[in-house]
Amino acid sequence: MATLSIKGVRKSFGSVEVLHNIDLELEDGGFLVLLGPSGCGKSTLLSIIAGLEPSSGGDVVIGERTVNDIHPKDRNIAMVFQSYALYPTMSVRRNIGFGLEMRRVDTSSREDAIGRAADLLQISHLLDRKPGQLSGGQRQRVAMGRAIVRNPDLFLFDEPLSNLDAKLRVEMRTEIKRLHDRLGTSVVYVTHDQVEAMTLGTKVAVMKGGVIQQLADPQTIYEQPANMFVAGFIGSPTMNFLNGTLENQDGKLVLHHGEETLELSGVAKGASAYVGKKVVAGIRPETFSKGAGPSALTGIVDVVEPTGPDTMVVLDVGGQMISARLGSRERPHPGEPMTLSVDTTALNLFDPETGDRI
Amino acid sequence: MVEFEKVTRIGRVKYWEDEAMNKNFNRRSVLKIGAGLMAATALTPSLAFGQTANINYWHTFTSQSEFAGLEEVMKLFKAAHPDIVVTQENIPNPDFMAKITAAVLADSRPNVTMVSSERFADLLAMGALTDMTERLANWDKRSDFDDSRFDSITKDGKIYGLPAFSFVDWMYYRKDWFEEAGIAPPTTYAEMRDAAIAITDPSKGRYGFGLRGGPGGQNYINNVMEAFGSPVQQGDQIGLDRDKAIEGIAWFSGLLTQDKVVPPSAPNDGFRQVIEGFQTGQTGMIWHHTGSFQDIASKLEPGVEFGTLAMPAGPAARVARLAYAYNSITKDENADASWEWIKFWGEPDAAIAFLDKTGYFPASNSASADPRIADNPLYKPAAETLVFGRPQPSFPGLAGWLESVVLPAFQRALIGEATPEQAVDEMIDGLNQAIG
Amino acid sequence: MTSNPQSIMASSRPLSTWDRINPARYIGELSETRFWMYLLLLPSALLIMGVVIYPTLYGFQLSFREMRLNRPDLGTDWVLLKHYQRMLSDQIFWISLRNTAVWVTAAVTIEFSVGLIAALALNRNLPGTKVLAVFILLPFFLPNVVAGHMWALMLDPRLGVINDLLVKVGLLGGYKAWFADPSTAMAAAIIVEAWHSFPFFTLLLLAGLKGIPTDLYKAADIDGAGSISQLRLITLPMLKTVIAAAVILRVIGLVNSPDLLLILTSGGPGRSTQVLSLYAFQTAYKDFNFGYAGALSVIMFILLMMFAWVYVRLSKVNQD
Ligand SMILES: Nc1ncnc2c1ncn2[C@@H]1O[C@H](COP(=O)(O)OP(=O)(O)OP(=O)(O)O)[C@@H](O)[C@H]1O
Ligand SMILES: [Mg+2]
Repeated sequence: MATLSIKGVRKSFGSVEVLHNIDLELEDGGFLVLLGPSGCGKSTLLSIIAGLEPSSGGDVVIGERTVNDIHPKDRNIAMVFQSYALYPTMSVRRNIGFGLEMRRVDTSSREDAIGRAADLLQISHLLDRKPGQLSGGQRQRVAMGRAIVRNPDLFLFDEPLSNLDAKLRVEMRTEIKRLHDRLGTSVVYVTHDQVEAMTLGTKVAVMKGGVIQQLADPQTIYEQPANMFVAGFIGSPTMNFLNGTLENQDGKLVLHHGEETLELSGVAKGASAYVGKKVVAGIRPETFSKGAGPSALTGIVDVVEPTGPDTMVVLDVGGQMISARLGSRERPHPGEPMTLSVDTTALNLFDPETGDRI
Repeated sequence: MVEFEKVTRIGRVKYWEDEAMNKNFNRRSVLKIGAGLMAATALTPSLAFGQTANINYWHTFTSQSEFAGLEEVMKLFKAAHPDIVVTQENIPNPDFMAKITAAVLADSRPNVTMVSSERFADLLAMGALTDMTERLANWDKRSDFDDSRFDSITKDGKIYGLPAFSFVDWMYYRKDWFEEAGIAPPTTYAEMRDAAIAITDPSKGRYGFGLRGGPGGQNYINNVMEAFGSPVQQGDQIGLDRDKAIEGIAWFSGLLTQDKVVPPSAPNDGFRQVIEGFQTGQTGMIWHHTGSFQDIASKLEPGVEFGTLAMPAGPAARVARLAYAYNSITKDENADASWEWIKFWGEPDAAIAFLDKTGYFPASNSASADPRIADNPLYKPAAETLVFGRPQPSFPGLAGWLESVVLPAFQRALIGEATPEQAVDEMIDGLNQAIG
Repeated sequence: MTSNPQSIMASSRPLSTWDRINPARYIGELSETRFWMYLLLLPSALLIMGVVIYPTLYGFQLSFREMRLNRPDLGTDWVLLKHYQRMLSDQIFWISLRNTAVWVTAAVTIEFSVGLIAALALNRNLPGTKVLAVFILLPFFLPNVVAGHMWALMLDPRLGVINDLLVKVGLLGGYKAWFADPSTAMAAAIIVEAWHSFPFFTLLLLAGLKGIPTDLYKAADIDGAGSISQLRLITLPMLKTVIAAAVILRVIGLVNSPDLLLILTSGGPGRSTQVLSLYAFQTAYKDFNFGYAGALSVIMFILLMMFAWVYVRLSKVNQD
């Protein structure tokens, strides 16, 4: 177990810089999720932590050690690859024990360790098979087994669940969470699945274009996204962005959007500086409820999508589409006018120029 | 229209495990070799004009000068016979028997083939050759050729070819080195050995004798055994006189193993290496025939740096071979055109042109009487040799025995892996296999 | 199994007269049976029979006959095992067998090792490897005959550049006639052969290497396997099938083709580089003894089959 800190790490491939000055801190036993769209540099950052790729600058510190010049095998880390990277010609047993074998751990303690890991992951009956004879989920477990058997200071996971079908993915997600709770080892976990990020992480780093947009606990990321990118990336369906002008009306802040006026209470203190200026209001679909109120929007129902527990409604408000998550009993008809009130305490305002939260 | 075409050989001869061994099943071989011939014909000009006959000619020329000579003869022929197109095809010596065997079995033979006397028996036995007795009898230039010229191409009174030119065995020696050492040119094996010892000087990289212990050396090994009194063939008798043969092998291999007057590369030295060794001043004497004269003269000055000698005499006999390169009709088709081409080599103009380029002696008397030959002192040893020279032995299996038994056995003696006794015993065993 | 068309048809509906004689119906029916597969295979099976099996059998029967082209007087009778008996006491056969073993083992070992090193180097995708690849593969594109003559010249004791270099570097006191000395002739020939054919391994191994995911090496790095361990435990096991196929192909090639030795040494000096293929070739085309040559080839064929079988067994390629 160890802390991880990354200080000013940069990475260039040729003349292209794909990581710009990354700073990260992970507490001992924490679970850091690197979240971001494809190509943003998540795997690259993970490889740098693992030592598989040299960084072009900055420091990686695991525990007390700056590991920049230390070989991957001496960083006391374990990694689970998206492809699992199981050695196809070796049995599951040897795959799991390979790291110990290479470290010249004697056979009996190696067998013990393999047995324990296999029990934990419920793959004891598979030990004598070859990876080619396993299902996707079983391979995933073997890859996990190979990681945990060595008792590393730090686990690195690169999209370990992305090759699994939806159901298995949910199961394994739970399993990983359980494993982390049990072992207490620090984890860096790469994904572009926001649900994984929200459920697993004690800390989430949202990345875009080689820059960390926000590093915070999942709750904060969700409720107070640092900018429009983070706000839009997290949540499904995505946050509604409503353009408008901020005004001071009778001592209250209001947002004008076309005909509509939203009364804002409980929004950020900095907002008053934007009076008279254009802002973007970020409204999560689930903060809508049916009926009028001081902050309400009226529009024409465009699409209705019942999902079972909820009904998703897309509303045309003065030409801008707004999606709202309503109770399952709500069944408006397309073409009908509809009024939704907004819980403005959960509303975020963004500067349209910079995209940053106000 | 005569066309000088160098036809690239198509592919490699298929080995025996395939078609060639197979008299009955030859369709595949026809396809294989047929493809080669098709490619050959594709290269020859179209036959649209008049009565053009196409013939192809397989030969085993190897050196630059030989190619130049052939080209010259073809040029003359083209002028004389515009209606016959000759396509020449060079078959390297090591491949020759394999290619011709395959061609005969697959019935895709060349029209005319150059036949050396040691191959005559084998080729005749496999039915490759056509009886030319009739044609020769009716030829006006027949009297230009001594009857003996046909000895090695005649079987049971039937003649199967016409000599194109002669191989007259003789030797070349470094006149300048001999003069420098103050020794006379050798006339016997013993003198030759002494001379070799005298001029050998390892510090200068000089060796007395360029012994051909690699490919092609088998004939000289056989000659030495004969010179020591063990001819492999005497009339109908085939066999070796063990003791005499051992003496011969001991003397010959001793030049390397005991006297060290031969370059250490001898066991692998073939034609090219032996000639180069002499040309580059590594060796002081070599045995060959007159055909390499021009090649050597291109590097060393004739009469000054090098001279020519008749082959020295061994203890029992003076063995120098007189052999002929025969041209034989090997295909019935276009036989008349083939005959024109074969006859043409007997014309003095063609023969002298060929001699000029190569050094090969003509086979016809009228050509050898030409002053360009008769008055040249360097050719005198060849003229002498015509008097005492003898033909190659000839019996089926001889060529194979010489190449795959005599040569390796002698090499084993050369490299000290076998005693001369063991080498000769190997030869005797092999001979029994070959003729048994 | 329901191969009887009547029974199937009868069960569904009555047959009209046309149905009974309609050829398409029979073909259609036939295509439903498991015979259909064999029927479809028939043309290619016949082709294989004609092109492969017939000549092979022909070669076999030849080895039991007298067949000497230059001795028509001996006829072409069956001689049972005469040729095989002769082989038992034929010194040259045994020498050739031993030399073949040396020739093939040494050449394949060197070709594989050099080929592997070259493939590993090319697989690193460093700048310039594309050009390097062309150079490395170059020897393979030379015909055997050309390569043979080229090396014969380079190793020539009088004019060869190799002697020149070795003498200048001081490794050699004076020019050496490599092919004239039985202690170096085989080694020199093997080196020429290895030079000529190692790209065969490079090519196949490179294709194999490209198929190994790079993640495996990253995982192995983290697991603490050094480059030797990675080669031994990951790369080679993953190339097992490719290696087995390449080795078998190369062994067959080496056992069967005499051309390089024919050019370089003709089996000499003495018998020191005589191998079975060369011996069989000479027996057929110098001695015209096709019967004995046939027997030699049958032995080579059997030895190769045995080798391939044992090798596949030992390397366990068809296990997974
Ligand atoms: N070896 C390389 N050479 C050049 N560019 C590279 C290399 N590896 C990655 N890149 C680039 O670096 C950027 C980040 O790649 P990386 O693999 O880290 O993305 P990622 O966030 O893991 O994406 P994904 O979610 O698709 O796995 C990409 O633009 C990629 O094209
Ligand atoms: Mg990635």
